Amino acid sequence: MPDIAHVLQFATPLVLAARVTIEVAAGAFVVAVLLGLFLASLRYFISSSLVRIPIAIYIEIFRNVPSLTHLFIIFFGLAYLGVRLESLAAAIIGLGLIGAAVLTEIFRAGFEAVHIGQREAALAVGMTPRAAFREIILPQTWRVTLPPLGNYAVQLVKDTSLVAAIAAPEIMFTARNLVVNTFEATLAYGIAAALYLVICIPLSRAIRRFEQRMAIPR
Amino acid sequence: MIGFLQTLIEHAPDWGRRLLPAAGETMLITISGFGVAVALAVLIEFARKSGVRGAGRAIGAYIEIVRALPVLAILYIVYFGLPGVGLTLSPFVSGTVGLGIVYSAYLAEVLRAGVDSLHRGQREAALATGMTPLQAFELIVLPQAVRVVLPPLLVSLISLLKDSSICALIAVNELTLSGRVIMSESFLPLHVFVLVGAIYFAIAWPMSLFVRWLEPRLHRGRRSAAA
Repeated sequence: MPDIAHVLQFATPLVLAARVTIEVAAGAFVVAVLLGLFLASLRYFISSSLVRIPIAIYIEIFRNVPSLTHLFIIFFGLAYLGVRLESLAAAIIGLGLIGAAVLTEIFRAGFEAVHIGQREAALAVGMTPRAAFREIILPQTWRVTLPPLGNYAVQLVKDTSLVAAIAAPEIMFTARNLVVNTFEATLAYGIAAALYLVICIPLSRAIRRFEQRMAIPR
Repeated sequence: MIGFLQTLIEHAPDWGRRLLPAAGETMLITISGFGVAVALAVLIEFARKSGVRGAGRAIGAYIEIVRALPVLAILYIVYFGLPGVGLTLSPFVSGTVGLGIVYSAYLAEVLRAGVDSLHRGQREAALATGMTPLQAFELIVLPQAVRVVLPPLLVSLISLLKDSSICALIAVNELTLSGRVIMSESFLPLHVFVLVGAIYFAIAWPMSLFVRWLEPRLHRGRRSAAA
């Protein structure tokens, strides 16, 4: 059994790295929600194929190619073109773009789940299409999209581990550096895993409770 | 843009000779990882149904823990962590086991949904009409369960294919790692990873299209039965 001072020596840098993990996840979440909502709304208002097809291509490419490939293209590929992103910025942009492809579909399904009569009634009482969207459709969409959005948030926290591959100093990257210096893989990765449990399990439980509160009563 | 394509086409034959076998390795680890995941998920489902005291809670804890851990953390623990307790596995086996563990938690939920969606009366009625338990399973239970289970199973397979790229970080010689090696030799990261991405896309996209094609067809008979 390793003594406590020894464990703390490993735990301290890893807990600090957990802050980076949460920052990257939060940043990517904001990018993904804003971009996903924007693209889904764009599709909602403009049915032209000039809008629909590029969005569909974007979604297909991001959903059928591994996240690591996208991260490498954004980090190493853009640097090759002369756009040098810091690894944290590349991580947030990369995970945000990947997430937006998922969320666009989630929001689209959310808009579709609101009965068409809602929109028609809003227009009939004299609302503009934009007001109807903002005041009537969107608030009802949130309730439907909340469960998949919550799942996405937990998945995103886990996916931030991938940005270790582009040298963003989050939990897994820090753990690997500790292992390279000390060769104590079991301890370092054990603490890293425990940190993910400490973040993800309460997060998913809180989300589940929030969902239950927000659920439409039957 | 034209210069980019020229360079890409120039290098494509050389890189292709190295990337295509690596893509084969990617598919191999995807399939073996999926096999382990399905086997574990079936075991979990049997254990849950067995009614052994505490089995339900143990399974619940297993699923919650596995689902809260990143794939990379599980792969690192299997590949770098297990040697610390005296179990050394090759990169490929580590990747297979790690991906198998990760996806067993998802597939167990999928199987559970499939089994639970089926009314118990279906099996009872089949037995009552004189079918043997095996016939009832084969002719009544299985065809209905497949409808519920198959689409999410295939979606998980696509997801596993993408996650197999993470095995590059434990030195499995698959597509992403080969891409990294070629990148560090050629200094053409954009070209290499656009090509690597295209190969992944060529494998995953037809599968995605198939699921989308399959799903409404599986539900067609079901809807008319409900009406």
